[in-house]
Amino acid sequence: MKGLLRPQLNHAMLTFLNRIFISPFYAKNAGTFLVILLLAFGFLSATEHKALITAALGSPFFLAIVFVLWTLYLLKTIAFIWQELTAPEHLFLQTFWLIPTSKRWALWLAIQTGLLLPIIAYAGWMIQLGIHFQRWDSLSAIVLVILILLIMGATAADYRLRHPNPDSLRLPHLTVQLPYELFFPAYWLRHEPLSFVLTKSFSGLLLAGVCRLYPTDDYDQRLLLIGLLLAVLGHSQVGGQISEFEKKYLLFLENLPLSWLQRFARYAFTYGLIWFPELLILLRNCPSEIRFDYVIWLWLTGWGCILLMHSLSYGRTIIPERWLSGVLATFIGGLLAIMFGVPVGAWLVLGWLGAIGFWYRSVLT
Amino acid sequence: MMNDEFCQRHSTVHISFIIYNRTGDPVIIQKLLTVTNLTKAYNGHIALTVPELQLPPGFHYFRGGNGSGKTTLFRTVAGLLPFSGEIVLAGKYEISRDPVAYRMRVNYAEAEPLYPSFLSARDLVGFVSKAKKSPVGQVDAVANLLGVDSFWTKPTGQFSSGMLKKLSLLLALLGTPQLVLLDEPLTTLDVATAEKLFAYIQQLHTSEGVSFLLTSHQDVSLTGLPITSVWQVNEGVITTTT
Repeated sequence: MKGLLRPQLNHAMLTFLNRIFISPFYAKNAGTFLVILLLAFGFLSATEHKALITAALGSPFFLAIVFVLWTLYLLKTIAFIWQELTAPEHLFLQTFWLIPTSKRWALWLAIQTGLLLPIIAYAGWMIQLGIHFQRWDSLSAIVLVILILLIMGATAADYRLRHPNPDSLRLPHLTVQLPYELFFPAYWLRHEPLSFVLTKSFSGLLLAGVCRLYPTDDYDQRLLLIGLLLAVLGHSQVGGQISEFEKKYLLFLENLPLSWLQRFARYAFTYGLIWFPELLILLRNCPSEIRFDYVIWLWLTGWGCILLMHSLSYGRTIIPERWLSGVLATFIGGLLAIMFGVPVGAWLVLGWLGAIGFWYRSVLT
Repeated sequence: MMNDEFCQRHSTVHISFIIYNRTGDPVIIQKLLTVTNLTKAYNGHIALTVPELQLPPGFHYFRGGNGSGKTTLFRTVAGLLPFSGEIVLAGKYEISRDPVAYRMRVNYAEAEPLYPSFLSARDLVGFVSKAKKSPVGQVDAVANLLGVDSFWTKPTGQFSSGMLKKLSLLLALLGTPQLVLLDEPLTTLDVATAEKLFAYIQQLHTSEGVSFLLTSHQDVSLTGLPITSVWQVNEGVITTTT
């Protein structure tokens, strides 16, 4: 009877862990996957992918870049597992520690395999081509890296299970009173550092990149606007993150006697802080042909547009696919409007008025 | 008999109360809280239906099993959840039309409070006391009463459940509320603090006319409060038992 039950129990446990880690991971990142799929398979055909894989198989440097990208993805999965393990509603998962080490490791490896499935599938395609071109060295490297990634992911997950820790980053506790406007930035930095680093580095590098690119050819201000559009869209998930954070930990907020404008002003301040590094990056890398006031307008436009996304997403349950489809449509529409010469002033007015208007409307409904 | 049946069916009580304001002048309040045609649904499933509920000033005890709708009622009245219907405080502050004035006068303490682990009581109280326009000296007095001052700068991630409860009660007592909703105030609270809390609540009611709605799975007589009315919440429907 015992022997019969064991495989069933293992299967039940795997199903249960799948519902805690794997399904929510894909649900939460559905939008990101959608964008990657659209970018990777919308702009590149299968033949071009094959050409890329063939190039990677023949170049250790190119292959190393692929491995770095896979490692970044692994970090994302680890961050997700760590976040779920420390979530108050998942404290019961500490009992998972009581499962014998070998069985626990087997389960972690199964979970990690589920989470790394997209890169395992791509690696499978690379291996198939590696066999075809008889690139045994590259093929061995791919298999080895995938195994290392799986083991690293399982090790990291098990480490967090055995070392439960409420703060992802052990930042010192402040001795001064933290104002409300800093609650979310502090949470983001402490509890979702990977998301923070990825969002800010994507946005910062992009803006620095377009600023540096500007003097190299006969570009006009539209290039800066395109860079700004992408940097703003890079922050599209922040509204949802703030909403989730406040709904979970600051339930009393809705009971506070604050008018819609006072609430909006507080969020505007918070986003101003989040968006402030971009001002420094723009000022530092601004091409000499661009006037100082234009840089300020650009930054203010970005601030307004990020607030607009906040007003659209805060407190609403939006299916990730739908939200990301909207982001993609905004990118295409925005790109066309910029190419047709819609100036920064129009974007500025659109962003701020839209942010205030949608916020006011969301309070009324 | 007919009237009793009507009251029970529509969860209605009409009583006039005289309270005294800070200057000692009498103020007559008939209905502290009026709830009309309230419906609260989660994903299309109706969790709470209140055709009519009128509460006079005093202490009102809501009892019911787990998942009966007590917390949903409290959160809705506190302005935390969207709903359809009308909630009016003291006959003039409607929750949607006068959101700021209403929330200035209605406070809420959660049954199972949860705060960001890196924040301290000082951070949270600093923000809430400013928003609720807490009178000078109130924070120190209530923090001392509940013992929150002893872990004032400690991050809430290091709090016990009792400490979290004390902090949530402190936040709910800030400002100058007319109505305070206490969801399971006895849970996880030590006996000594509970005694001090209920003595303070009684004092708030006597001197400032503050009313309280309470839920509890414990014996409510332990609070020592003179309960004005007892209500039964069952499957999202409220009926009076007194």
